[in-house]
Amino acid sequence: MGNKQTIFTAQQLFYRYRDLAPQLVPLDYTNHPDVKLPYELIGSMPELKDNPFRQRIAEVFSEDGQGNMTLDDFLDMFSVLSEMAPRDLKAYYAFKIYDFNNDDFLCKSDLEKTLNKLTRNELTEEEVRMVCEKVIDEADLDNDGRLSLEDFQHMIVRAPDFLSTFHIRI
Amino acid sequence: MIGELERQGLGPTGNDFPGDQEPPRLRRAPSRASDRNYPRYDWSADPAEEEDGAGNAEAPPEIRTLPWPMERKRAVRQVQQMRAHVSFGAESWRRNKTKSLRKLQQNVREFLYFFSLWRKSLQKIGGNFGGGVKSYFVFLRFLVVLNFVSFLLIAGFVIAPSLVRRSAGTGGFVNSTDKESCLVYDPNPQGLVVFYEFFLHLLSGTGFMEDSFMFYGYYNNNTAVEDGSLSYNIPLAYLFTAAFYFAFCLCCIIARMGTAARVAVATGGRAIGNYSLIVFTGWDYGCLGDRATKLKQKNIYYRLQVDLEEERIKKRAASLTPWRKVALYTLRVLMFLIALGLIGTAFYGIFEATKFSQENGDRFGILGLFIEYLPSIVITTGNFLVPLLCDQIALLEKYSPSITVVVALLRAVVLRLVSLGILLFTLWSQITCSGDLEKEDCGNCSYNNKKYQCWETSVGQEMYKLTLFDLLVTIALLVLVEFPRRMVVDNWSSKLSQLVGRQEFVVPSNVLGLVYGQTVVWTGALFCPLLPLINTIKFVILFYCKKITLFCNCRPALKTFRSTTSTFFFLVVLLFGWGLALVAMIYSLAVIHPSYACGPFRFFTTMWAIVPNSFYSLSEVTQEFLFFIGSQAFSIPLFALSCVVMCYFIALASIYGRSVAMLKAQLKLEGQDKQFLVKQIEKMKRNNI
Repeated sequence: MGNKQTIFTAQQLFYRYRDLAPQLVPLDYTNHPDVKLPYELIGSMPELKDNPFRQRIAEVFSEDGQGNMTLDDFLDMFSVLSEMAPRDLKAYYAFKIYDFNNDDFLCKSDLEKTLNKLTRNELTEEEVRMVCEKVIDEADLDNDGRLSLEDFQHMIVRAPDFLSTFHIRI
Repeated sequence: MIGELERQGLGPTGNDFPGDQEPPRLRRAPSRASDRNYPRYDWSADPAEEEDGAGNAEAPPEIRTLPWPMERKRAVRQVQQMRAHVSFGAESWRRNKTKSLRKLQQNVREFLYFFSLWRKSLQKIGGNFGGGVKSYFVFLRFLVVLNFVSFLLIAGFVIAPSLVRRSAGTGGFVNSTDKESCLVYDPNPQGLVVFYEFFLHLLSGTGFMEDSFMFYGYYNNNTAVEDGSLSYNIPLAYLFTAAFYFAFCLCCIIARMGTAARVAVATGGRAIGNYSLIVFTGWDYGCLGDRATKLKQKNIYYRLQVDLEEERIKKRAASLTPWRKVALYTLRVLMFLIALGLIGTAFYGIFEATKFSQENGDRFGILGLFIEYLPSIVITTGNFLVPLLCDQIALLEKYSPSITVVVALLRAVVLRLVSLGILLFTLWSQITCSGDLEKEDCGNCSYNNKKYQCWETSVGQEMYKLTLFDLLVTIALLVLVEFPRRMVVDNWSSKLSQLVGRQEFVVPSNVLGLVYGQTVVWTGALFCPLLPLINTIKFVILFYCKKITLFCNCRPALKTFRSTTSTFFFLVVLLFGWGLALVAMIYSLAVIHPSYACGPFRFFTTMWAIVPNSFYSLSEVTQEFLFFIGSQAFSIPLFALSCVVMCYFIALASIYGRSVAMLKAQLKLEGQDKQFLVKQIEKMKRNNI
């Protein structure tokens, strides 16, 4: 029913960005100041600080790949993670987040790292191995032993919950 | 930039730059390795030409959906807008109109969003307890709105005109018939009334409550107004409002099922992709707080364990010897029969309790109240005990976890709905002397008028008591069981309290409780027009009570409920309840003789009989038109046409299904082709070196 939209304007997001470091971020952006907030500040936001993937999220959306974000990066991040972003866009960025080694494929090591972050390292080695095998079995269409973006997107199509879970409420 | 943002307050997809600003800063040295994966933008495509009449820009693709950094999107949009000004004439007018229409739609949606009920609470619940629990509260909110709108309907068409008629003062007409004994009815004997009787009347719907707008018996069958120009046929309005109420509820449920089903169908087969779905879509990015995160991680761990356990069980089941298989199957059949026996016992108990309560309904005081509430008590106890016992039985049956859940749910649904059906059946057999109208009690007035001077009101009272008792039991459980349990578990650490633990919010049984309550209201709405209002209030109280108990007493469940498929399941069960209520309503409308002594249908043979009677008072033209619609000359072509339309839609659906399968196969093939080509390239490279 009524939960189809979160209404946040660029203005509100700007104020959230500025609140992280008021002394660094000027109020006047007409001259496009080159201001980058370090990852530690971004990672301390209440919406992100408990998320096990916060470092990967910041790295994916930041310009320098290290997690230090400009205002545009910040807007990008919350726009993709909002309710309004289309499924393909979200799938694209979710793929990049889970791709720890940035090689455009989700290989076994990426899956193992994802799994450990998801379960807080509680699964045994044997179980991790079994689950990774099953995941690649289920989702790998071109049979190369790792998941490409197309495989990932094809699998996301069949996940009705994806749009509501890949979403940060701000 | 902040000035512009303040002026325009736009969404996150960018802004207009004044034309004379410096060109936007493009990203330097993209260190993100996947930059090369950005789809190429087709600069040559002219936006004006590509748009069709509906104004949807299919190509070039919407900038919002492209995974580009913000700067690039702004630059492209700027160029697009500069281009768009070139076209003129009818096309640009149409495009402007569609654009403003879309903006208006979006604004209306944003505006309505602020009015959606309990939005913040639902967000908090979803963030802390997950989608499954949130879907229960969303379902509850849907029922509250449905009941409230139904009440407005009934109030507008039945209660308000009756109020006006009452205040106008004319009483009901009394035709002279020979059924004098059937006309005796005195719902509210005036006289000295003991103080606590007020309370008793409130709880059992008798006395002052019976003689009010609450129940069917209060409404009259008068139609004409003083000055003769306006006439409002109250009995007809009553009947049509009841029928429309059912149709309206059906439409709402099916509309909601449509949206839920679309999602369920789009995902195709459920079995494939279990592990990958948990791994990639299991994490809720909206989870707030350290505690919730830890719980979510435990949840995912538990789900993976459950799946791995199912694998192990499957492997073990496949390796059973034939003898052990036979033993297992006989055990399962035995357990099924035992469960059936338990459910049958519950039904018999309800039957006996209802009969006893109806026969001894005239005791006074607390004992009388207890006897009146006996059917409700037995139903509630049965609904509580039998699923518990069936759970124990399920432990012996050794199904896999997912099948166990489904079987338990089915048993609970059958128990709840059929127990209500048994109650209705018992009432029917009491009212119509088990259908045998020749018996001495029923011979006079075609219904048992010794016990029921106004049987519709009695049925309405029974439904009212069920509703009230449900609410009271919920509140009593909250105060007497759940809070103490939490206090005991938190403050007294012992083996027992560790074993029992804090309560879990079990979604399926709570939803079944809601469905049961709504079915009772549907059954009783014909006889107790204010019941939807009472139910609205009851559900609102329930929302707040359940929210309080959720946040104070419950721990998040380890076994989560899938939120999207479960919505569809709740609505299907609700539809079953609706079907049961519909059967009861149709039977009372069409078969049982209305009471002589009360109500708007006093002197008709059945409630439905008023429709043919009023029909003849319509104008000639309308009568002929309606006859024509009912005749064969109209209905047979209509039937043929609807068959054709249905065949068309079935063919369309099968074509879509087949094209989806073909596209999936093609996707696989493309991947294999790509791999083959890559291998060829590497081979050639190696040969060349």
